Amino acid sequence: MLSDLSTANKKFQKELKAGTVALVLLGILDRAVEPMYGYQITKHIELAMENVPEIKQGALYPVLRSLERSGILESQVEPSVSGPPRRYYRITEAGRETLAEWKVTWGYTKNFVDAILKGQDDV
Amino acid sequence: MSEMISRYLNELSAALAGADPATVQDALSDAEEHLRTALDQTLSEHPETSENEVVKLIIEKYGSPEEVASAYKEVEMRTAPALAESKNQKDRSVVARIFGVLIDPRAYAALFYLIISLATGIIYFTWAVTGLSLSAGFLVLIIGIPFIGVFLLSVQGLALVEGRIVEALTGYRMLRRPIFARKDLGIWGRFKYLVTSGLTWKTLVYMILQLPLGIIYFTLSVIMLAISFWCILRPIFEYGFDLPWLMIDNISFYTPGWTMPLVMIVGILWLILTMHLVKLIGRMHGGFARIMLVKKEKVVDEGRLESAIPSV
Repeated sequence: MLSDLSTANKKFQKELKAGTVALVLLGILDRAVEPMYGYQITKHIELAMENVPEIKQGALYPVLRSLERSGILESQVEPSVSGPPRRYYRITEAGRETLAEWKVTWGYTKNFVDAILKGQDDV
Repeated sequence: MSEMISRYLNELSAALAGADPATVQDALSDAEEHLRTALDQTLSEHPETSENEVVKLIIEKYGSPEEVASAYKEVEMRTAPALAESKNQKDRSVVARIFGVLIDPRAYAALFYLIISLATGIIYFTWAVTGLSLSAGFLVLIIGIPFIGVFLLSVQGLALVEGRIVEALTGYRMLRRPIFARKDLGIWGRFKYLVTSGLTWKTLVYMILQLPLGIIYFTLSVIMLAISFWCILRPIFEYGFDLPWLMIDNISFYTPGWTMPLVMIVGILWLILTMHLVKLIGRMHGGFARIMLVKKEKVVDEGRLESAIPSV
């Protein structure tokens, strides 16, 4: 029974993450002064992450790629001094507009879910 | 590179078996970039830690090859490139698939590519042949080596441009990597890399082949299109401009009235056939260009990504 519960929880976390990861990545890149490469972004998330379900860093990269394909991000590969070339991501103008919309949607969703859950406690 | 990282990359590419090759390359270069950058930075911050311990921790945070592979596959499933055929196209009826080509943007893009390939083919061929012969001629002179270097660099540049064109017009994804994967190579190192890289020579072969291919593509598509419009526009030619379809010794042959609709139907069918053929050739050429113009990322057993780090 306990293991059933934790798989259900894992599934829920996974579904929840699918949408929020893109929002989080956009939020970070929106505030970034300079283009960031993947490892920097994961570092940033790691520092900000407390009591938050862990996101595997490897799962962030495909989201970055897909955001780039939809024109929300743009990237540039730059050689580095000793290591492999790095892909630097930056948010586009369309990306900022998208982010503004997503923020509104996120706000609605958060309030709605909170309201429902609160209502449940009162019953 | 750390042995564990290359083992990880090998496992990742095995876990991605069956995915689109472009996705596999994305995943491998992302993983390589992340793991090696993380390793470098952690080691420079904490030089006392053992490399294997650090790599283990980094990989744990990055996710197992299976986890990462499934993340890429999921995203690939959700987002298809704009011109890619939709998955449910296979479910469409045979008739829709045959006639749908007339409103398929990819077929028109391929047609455009085949027509301009004559022009680009001439440019590439001239550039490659002139460059090669001048390189050979200059070899005995002091400017020989720099000339070859600049020429081969221009070849790489043209390969990138052609890759973009092919990607835009045939929908085949061409992976881009910077020509030199390392900044610290120095001029001589870069030169050696250019000369020894198989990609340079494959690109040259592609550029030379592009002339005959361009001639074939252009001729074929123009003739096929001309035949279909010759048929479809027959009533306008004959009734509007009094142009017979054949003239021998001043005797004009006109299409009998009752066959006019048939001729037009044949023309439309021919046009459909042309567009299917054009689309097929575009797709084949895209595959060919990917083989010739794109660096292949091969994970080798000695634990080194062959293309990412030139062996200089």
